[in-house]
Amino acid sequence: MSHRTEKSFYFHRELSWLEFNARVLEEGLDHGNPLLERLRFLAIVSSNFDEFFMVRVAALKARRRAGDSAPDYSGMSPDELLAAIARRVREIGGKQYYCLTNEIIPALAGEGLVILRPADYDPETRRWLEDYFTGQVAPALTPLAVPAAEEADPAAGGGAGAAREADGGAARAAEFPTTGNLRIHAAFLLRARDAEGNPEGERLAIIQVPSNLGRFVRLPTGSGSRFALLDDLVMDFGHRLFPGYSVKERTLFKVTRDADIGVDEDRDDDFVAAMEEVLVNRQNSWPIRLSISADSEELAAKISAAFGLSEDDVYELAGPIDLKGFMEIAELKGFERLRYRPRAPRQTLDLTEGNTIWDEIRKRDLVLHMPYESFQPIVDFVETAASDPSVLAIKMTLYRTSGDSPIVKALSRAARAGKQVTVVVELKARFDEERNIAWASRLEQAGAIVVFGAARLKVHAKAILAVRREEDGLVRRYVHLSTGNYNDKTARLYGDLSLFTANPTICAEIGAFFNMITGLSALTELRHLSMAPFDLKHRVVSMIEREAERSSPESPGLIAAKMNSLCDKDIIDALYRASAAGVKVLLNVRGICQLVPGLKGLSENISVVSVIGRYLEHARICYFRNGGAEELYLSSADWMPRNLEKRIELLFPVYGEEARDRVYDTLMSYFLDNAKARALGPSGHWRRVKPAEGEARFSVQDYFYEDSARRLERAAAASADKVLQVRRDAP
Amino acid sequence: MEARTEAVIEIGSTGIRVLVANVSGDGAYSILERAGKPVALGRDVFTTGLVSRESTRECIAVLRGFSELLRAYGVEPGKARVVATSALREAENRDAFVDRVAMRTGFRVDVIEAIEESHYMYLAVKRSLGDDARFFARSNSIIIEVGGGSTELMLLRRGKIVAAHSLRLGTIRVDEQSKAAMGSSGYLLRFLADNVRTACDGLEDDLPLAGVRSFFVIGNDARFAARVAGSETRLDYSIVPREAFLSLVDRLKGLSVDSIVSEFRVPYSDAEALIPGLVITALFLERTGAEELVVPLVSLRDGLLIAMSGGSGSDIEAELHKQVIASVIGLGRRYHFDEDHASHVAEHALFMFDRLKESHGMGRRERLLLEAAAYLHDVGNFIRTSGHQRHSEYIVLNSEIFGLQRDELTIVGNLVRYHRKAGPSPSHANYMSLPREDRAVVLKLAAILRVADSLDRGHTQRLRLVDLEMKEDHLLLQTDCQGDLSLERLSLADKCDMFEDVFGLKVVVI
Repeated sequence: MSHRTEKSFYFHRELSWLEFNARVLEEGLDHGNPLLERLRFLAIVSSNFDEFFMVRVAALKARRRAGDSAPDYSGMSPDELLAAIARRVREIGGKQYYCLTNEIIPALAGEGLVILRPADYDPETRRWLEDYFTGQVAPALTPLAVPAAEEADPAAGGGAGAAREADGGAARAAEFPTTGNLRIHAAFLLRARDAEGNPEGERLAIIQVPSNLGRFVRLPTGSGSRFALLDDLVMDFGHRLFPGYSVKERTLFKVTRDADIGVDEDRDDDFVAAMEEVLVNRQNSWPIRLSISADSEELAAKISAAFGLSEDDVYELAGPIDLKGFMEIAELKGFERLRYRPRAPRQTLDLTEGNTIWDEIRKRDLVLHMPYESFQPIVDFVETAASDPSVLAIKMTLYRTSGDSPIVKALSRAARAGKQVTVVVELKARFDEERNIAWASRLEQAGAIVVFGAARLKVHAKAILAVRREEDGLVRRYVHLSTGNYNDKTARLYGDLSLFTANPTICAEIGAFFNMITGLSALTELRHLSMAPFDLKHRVVSMIEREAERSSPESPGLIAAKMNSLCDKDIIDALYRASAAGVKVLLNVRGICQLVPGLKGLSENISVVSVIGRYLEHARICYFRNGGAEELYLSSADWMPRNLEKRIELLFPVYGEEARDRVYDTLMSYFLDNAKARALGPSGHWRRVKPAEGEARFSVQDYFYEDSARRLERAAAASADKVLQVRRDAP
Repeated sequence: MEARTEAVIEIGSTGIRVLVANVSGDGAYSILERAGKPVALGRDVFTTGLVSRESTRECIAVLRGFSELLRAYGVEPGKARVVATSALREAENRDAFVDRVAMRTGFRVDVIEAIEESHYMYLAVKRSLGDDARFFARSNSIIIEVGGGSTELMLLRRGKIVAAHSLRLGTIRVDEQSKAAMGSSGYLLRFLADNVRTACDGLEDDLPLAGVRSFFVIGNDARFAARVAGSETRLDYSIVPREAFLSLVDRLKGLSVDSIVSEFRVPYSDAEALIPGLVITALFLERTGAEELVVPLVSLRDGLLIAMSGGSGSDIEAELHKQVIASVIGLGRRYHFDEDHASHVAEHALFMFDRLKESHGMGRRERLLLEAAAYLHDVGNFIRTSGHQRHSEYIVLNSEIFGLQRDELTIVGNLVRYHRKAGPSPSHANYMSLPREDRAVVLKLAAILRVADSLDRGHTQRLRLVDLEMKEDHLLLQTDCQGDLSLERLSLADKCDMFEDVFGLKVVVI
C-alpha cells in the first residue's frame, strides 16, 4: 500500500508508525530468532498497538469529534486516515495471530512449553481447572449486570447514538459498568428461566478478569510446563457465578481508552495532585477500540454499541486477546535455550580508589555505548558524587527511572549528607506517573530540591552535573550527557550513547541549562549546546542549510543522522533542499519517517534505513561534513515537532578526539548493516537489506557487542602519566 | 593569594545577574557560571523614584534562587559581592531595600557610585582585549555602556583615564520619556540627538572626540549588534565596522519591537531596549573618528571579579581617589586657587590624619573628604577674601565633584566653612542638616584641617611637618623649620581651639 497521497511529498505519520510496528512483527516472524524472543516481539507489537490507540488514534478521533476534518501536511483527513489505520492494523494483527497460533504455540509445545486453550482441555485438566477456578479465582470476581437494552440502548437509532456520543464518556459510564482501560473482561449473554424453566428474556453481564492473579495458570500435571489462560478460565467457568441463568453466548473483550488527557498545567501549584487526578480519569475517558475474541457476533455487536464504537473500531482476534500478557511466558524461567544467549554488559572502565571516575573523565571525554557497555559507570558517577566529601552539588534530570533505582538512592544519600541536590523530575512520562510520584516525594523528604517539569514543558534532556571542590582549591565540574534515560533497567535493552566530559565550556553551558530549567535564570544563549524548544530546531535546520550551501560537485556535502523518528516538516524540507543541492544524506530512523527518500528531483540523494533487532535503537546522533570542519552531535531529541517544540531537549557536540572517532564510527556502522536493516523506498515500502554477492553478513548490534570487548584494553592505554589536562575551551 | 570560588551579583535597572568564578589569585579567574533574571527595577525608579514593593519581592525571590545557585559552589550569601547600580542609586528607598534584602537573603548589597562602576568596566574592557593593547596604546579611546538608567562614559588618552561621566540617559528612562510623548518616534530620536549633542559638547573639553579612534561598547545591545553585523569575533571581543553598525541602526529604527523579536530571535525584554540603546551608541560613534566598534564580551561583573582577584589596576579605591582629586583640583583651578598652598595644606592634613588614625578611628572615605576640603578651603577667595570660608562653602555646595555624592559634598562644604573663624553652631543650617555621625566627622576633620592650614600661614610652604608625637596632654608637631615659627604659632593659637575640644590635646609646634 502507499503511505502518501499522490500529491504529497511526505509519508503519513501514523501510517509510517504502523510500518514500524510491522517491522517489529517481522522480527517475531523471523525464524532466525529464538522462539521465546519471537514471542516477545509479538507481545511488543500488541503493547505498541495499545499505546498507539490510546494516544494517536484517540487524538485523531478527538479531532474528528471536534469537527476538524482538515488534512495534515501529508494530505490526509482524519476520516481517510482512520480507515487506512484500521485496514493496516488488521493486516498486521492477522499475521501476528497467524504466527502465534500456527507457529509459535505449536513450536513451544514441541519444546515442552504448552499453552492450552479451552478446546485443548482434556477431562482431567478441565476438572483441575474448574476446582482451581472455584477455589482461587471465583472469590476474586465481581459479576456485574448490564442494564437491560430498553433502559439504555445506545444503538436505538443513529440520532440517539450520535447525541450520546456528544455527551461524552461520562454519560455512557453510568449505563455500562465501568470497564477501565485495557482490562480484560468476560461477557455473558444470559437467559433467565422462570419457575417452570421456560426462557424469560436475556441479560448481559460482565466480569473483569483480575489483573493481580497472573495471566497464566500453571497446571500441576502432565509433562513439561503447561499453562492455561486465566481469562479462558473466567470465560469458560464464569457462568457458575450466575445461578439460575443459562449462558447463550460468551466472549472476552478489552476496551482501549483515550490516555492522552493533558494535565491542567495552569494548576501547577500542586502538580502532583493534578497528575493523580489524571491517572484516575484515564480509566474513564473516551473508548477508542474494542478488542474482542471471535466467540460471539451478537455480543460483539452489543458491546460495541454500548461503547458507541463503530465496526472500524472493533477488532476480532483469532486467539487470546491482549498478547502483551505473553511477555510473562517469554520471560519464563528455565527456557534459556529458547532465548538470546545472555550478554553481560561489559565493564569498560577500570575504576579503583586510585583511579576514580573523576580521574577517568579528566583524562579525556568518554563515550559509553549502552547496552553493550555497562551502565555502572553512570551509577558510579552519581554514587561517587554522593559520597565524595569534595562534591558540593549534584544536579540531574530524571525521567522514567525505575523506583528502586540506585541513582535515586544515591541522590537521597547525597541530600541527607548536606550536598545540594537538584532533581528535575518529569512527571508526565506518559504511562509511568504512578511510579514517578512515589520516588519524587522520597527525594524531597531527603532534602533534595525537586523541580517538576520546567516552564510547563516536559524535560526530556538527560544531564547530570557534579560540582567538586578539588585539591587545588578550585571548583571543577563534571558532566554526563546521554541520549537515553537514567534507568538501570532499560539500559540493558536500549541502545544509547552517553558522554562524560569535564570540558569547561560544556560544563558551564550545562550549568546554565540547569539554571534555566529550574527557573533560577532567564533564558541565555548557549553557544555549544542547543536547547529545545528554544533554538534546537533552528540550529538543526541551519546546519542542514549550511551543508547545502557549502556543497559543490567537487566536494559534495554529507549529512548522516540517526534518530527514532523523523516527522518535522521544516527539517524534512531542509533535507530535501540539501539533497537537491547535491548533499548526500544518510538517515537511520528506527520508527516513523515522514521523509520520502529516493524521489527524483526531490530526494534522490537521501537514503533511509531502519534497524530493528535485539536491542531497541534509541541513540540520536547527527553528523555534518561542513566542508571538512566536521561537526558531530548527540541529542536527546528526535526530529519531531513534539520534541522540538514542546519539550526541553538538548543537542550537544562531541569534542574529544577519541570520543568523536568512536561516535562517528558508531553512526556510520548503521549504514553497513545487512542483517537487521531495512531500507525505505519511495513508495513507503521497507525492504530488508541483504548482503550483496560475496559480502559478509554484518549486524551492527552484533558488531557493537564484539567491539565492546576490546574497549577495556584500549582504555588502559590512557595511563596515569598521560592524563590530559582539562581543556580550557572547546575547539 | 589562595585559590577560591567567588560570586558577584549585579542588581541593575533591568535585571539581576550573577557570575560564579574560580579565582586563582594574581588576577586570573575563570567563570563557572552565569545566570540572570529580569526585574524591572529601573522602570519603578525612573518613573516614581521608588523601588516598588512588588519589585522588592521579586528581587528577593531572584536572590534566594541565586543563593541556591551559589550553594552549589559553596559560596555563602554573606561572602558574595553584591553591587547595585543606577536604579538603586537613585531610589529614595534604597536603604530600606538594602536592609530588607539583607534580612531576607543574607546578601549585603553595596550600592556603588557611577564612577566606581566605570572603573570596573574599564578593568573588564582592558582584560578582554588581552594582548591587543594596541587598541588603547595607539590612540585616544572611549568606553561606553548604555544602561537602563544611565550611560557610562570613559575617556582615555593612550590608555589612561582622562575623565569618566555618567549621563542620565538610559534605555528605560528614554522609553518613559517617549511614552510621555505619546510614543512619537520622531520625538524620541530628536530627544536622543539633543541629549547626546549636549553631552558630547561637554566631553570635548576633556578630550577632542574627533581624535578618538577606538570606540568600545559594552552591553547587551552592543553584543546583539556584534552578532548581527560583526565582522570579526575573537574569544573575548567582537568587531563591528562603523558603516555596518550605522546601517544596522538605521534599519532597526524602522522596525517595531515585535518584528525585531521575530526577525532576530531575541527576547522581548532585550528587544525593547535595542533601539534606544543602539541609537545612543550610534550618535556617540558619529562624533568620533573611530572606524569600528569594539565590543568586549564582558560586563561590570567581570570588572568586579578582576578587582577581587587582585589583578593589575584592581585597586579601584586608588583609581577612584585619583579621579576625585583630579576633579577637585580642576574645580580649584576654575576659581584660581593658590594651588601650592592648597596641596601643601592637603599634604599636612593627610599626614596628621594618618598618624592620628588611632585617636579618630576614621577611614578611607573621610580621608578623601579631608583631602578634598584641604584643596578647596580657600576657593572662596575668588569672590572675596573677607568671610571667604562662607564663599568656599557656597562654591563647594553648588559644584559637581566627580565621584562625590550629595551627602559627601555637604561634608566637604562644612569642612571648608569651618577651616577658620567660628565653629559649628545650631544656627548653621548646613551643619544641622547632617546626621549626628557626620557632624562628628566634620568636627574631627575640621580640627585637623585648621591645624594644617595654620602651618602655612604665610602661603609660602616654608616648612614641612616631619613628625608628630602624642604626649599626655598635647600633640607635638615637629617641623623641618630651623627659623622663627612665631607666625605659625600665632595662627595656631587662633585655630587650634577646635582640635583641643575634639581630641583633648593642645597643639605644640617645634
